[in-house]
Amino acid sequence: MSLGRVLRNAAIGVLAVLWLVPTWLLVVNALVPAANYSGSPHWLPEDFGLFDNMSQAWDKAHLGPALGNSLLYSVVSAVAAAVLAGFAAFATIVMPVKRQALWFWVIYSGTLLPLQVFIRPLFLSYAHTSLYDTQLGLVLIYTAIAVPFAFFVMRNYTLTLPREVVEAARMDGASWWRVFWQIHVPLTRSAMIAVFVFQFVAVWNDLMFGITMATSRNIRPVMAALADLQGNYSNVGPPVVLAGALLVSLPTVVLFFAAQRFFVSSLKIHR
Amino acid sequence: MSTYTTGRRPPGTTGTPPAPRRTTPRSPREHTRATVRQRLTAGGFMAPAVLLVTLFLLAPFVWTVYRSFFSDTRTAPFSWFENYSLFASDPALSRSIQNTLMWVVGTVALPFVLGLAIACMTNSGRFSRLARLCVVLPYALSGSAVAVVWNFMLTTDGAVNQVLTGVGLDSLAQGWLLTWPGNTVVMIVANAWQATGVAVILFLVGLQSIPPETLEAGSLDGASGWQQFRHIVLPQLRPVSIIVIGMSLVNGLKSFDLIWVLTQGGPGRATETLAVSMYNETFLELRPGAGAAIAVVLTVIVLAASWLYLRRQLDVKGV
Repeated sequence: MSLGRVLRNAAIGVLAVLWLVPTWLLVVNALVPAANYSGSPHWLPEDFGLFDNMSQAWDKAHLGPALGNSLLYSVVSAVAAAVLAGFAAFATIVMPVKRQALWFWVIYSGTLLPLQVFIRPLFLSYAHTSLYDTQLGLVLIYTAIAVPFAFFVMRNYTLTLPREVVEAARMDGASWWRVFWQIHVPLTRSAMIAVFVFQFVAVWNDLMFGITMATSRNIRPVMAALADLQGNYSNVGPPVVLAGALLVSLPTVVLFFAAQRFFVSSLKIHR
Repeated sequence: MSTYTTGRRPPGTTGTPPAPRRTTPRSPREHTRATVRQRLTAGGFMAPAVLLVTLFLLAPFVWTVYRSFFSDTRTAPFSWFENYSLFASDPALSRSIQNTLMWVVGTVALPFVLGLAIACMTNSGRFSRLARLCVVLPYALSGSAVAVVWNFMLTTDGAVNQVLTGVGLDSLAQGWLLTWPGNTVVMIVANAWQATGVAVILFLVGLQSIPPETLEAGSLDGASGWQQFRHIVLPQLRPVSIIVIGMSLVNGLKSFDLIWVLTQGGPGRATETLAVSMYNETFLELRPGAGAAIAVVLTVIVLAASWLYLRRQLDVKGV
């Protein structure tokens, strides 16, 4: 027994350390004051230059507006997707709708296709309609991309709910609108939160639409700004780039670990 | 199709005065009007999602398929499958296909094997939570941030070369992102570093749903640890395994951020996968027809891969 256990613990230890090395180097070298960086990676923290590096990254990559934009895009798109997907799931499952399967596939098919297949037509039509390089344009795209999967999660969750509550409310004369907001939304709250967290992270982490649909510094989202900063790697130096990466990752890392329960539940629903 | 507004009063309410509009049975015409109104309401609930998806996703998809049949010369004539034949004639695209295959194999095999091993080993034990945290942590990072971290690891004066020279293996130190196929391999490793976390989470969920009785029965019958794993645990993890494989496969095919930030598909066009080639052809080489054809091919592959695990999902949910 003991040999097996020793071997197992050794394997866990080695894997954990291997996995931790890049994360460790990210944090340690983001701490090194940019001026002190000697040209090769540091393995132990010395001096505390993190905030200085972050503020350099903030200035060089114009992270202020980018963070604000990403917050706007992520919150609005994730909320909109959760509500719209909630509407659609409510209509197809709770309300007596014909051709449920057709509507399911119309909405759900969007999440099966790779994003590359949408991007040029969207780019062209945005260029024609002055939605290009606007906040509204990005919010619309992010919402549209988020809706199909959000719908899938909401729908599967709605299927597990008892129908009696809604029927009782309908017989008491409540309108569908009221039934949705006062009964259905409270019942599906946990799925909605799961959808929100999932889509918030997805939108926050998007790079492709950020670099394609926006060019201005006060429109582009945060990952586009980070890619820009990385492009200046040799000029600004590794500590500043790493501090920038750390800074833009903080919101989603915090959200991920605070809402891990919801993440796991949305993955389970995914099954 | 049932309507909520007519009939079906709960029993026992006959004594109390019912709502006025329910006292008389409805005439057929009233009935249909109620049904129509109900359909309209349902349509209203569905319309925003359906419109958004149709306008922003399905219509562009159709347009891209259409565009892929027109060539990239100035007048852009209809050219049947000329754009698709580029896969055979253009060396950059052949390389892109090769890389995509490598990505598919790597992104399925590495997270699957490592995720399963880590989940099984950390399912119980004292340090297991901590060890698991180390592995799940990168999953919370974006593809772009992962690229920044791994650029730091892999550049010529990066951490990997520093370690190699430090332990006297100078000959192994190299420009990791500069030569093919090494650069694609290290990016697949970087991807696995991030993606294994989600596989671990899913396998843990699967492990915890295995009834402990089956394992007890196995050990009573004298099965060794390995036999238990092979014949009791593994078969019961089959559903989760299919999801993990399907998800990693699709995510690997769609992966863009990591490659774009690390190499932009370069040097030359050596590290492009189909997802990156499409972007390059369309927006940098300005050959939208070729880009559209790549996008369509990518779609077909992604759909085929999705089918693997979707079939199960949709069977269970009964669409």
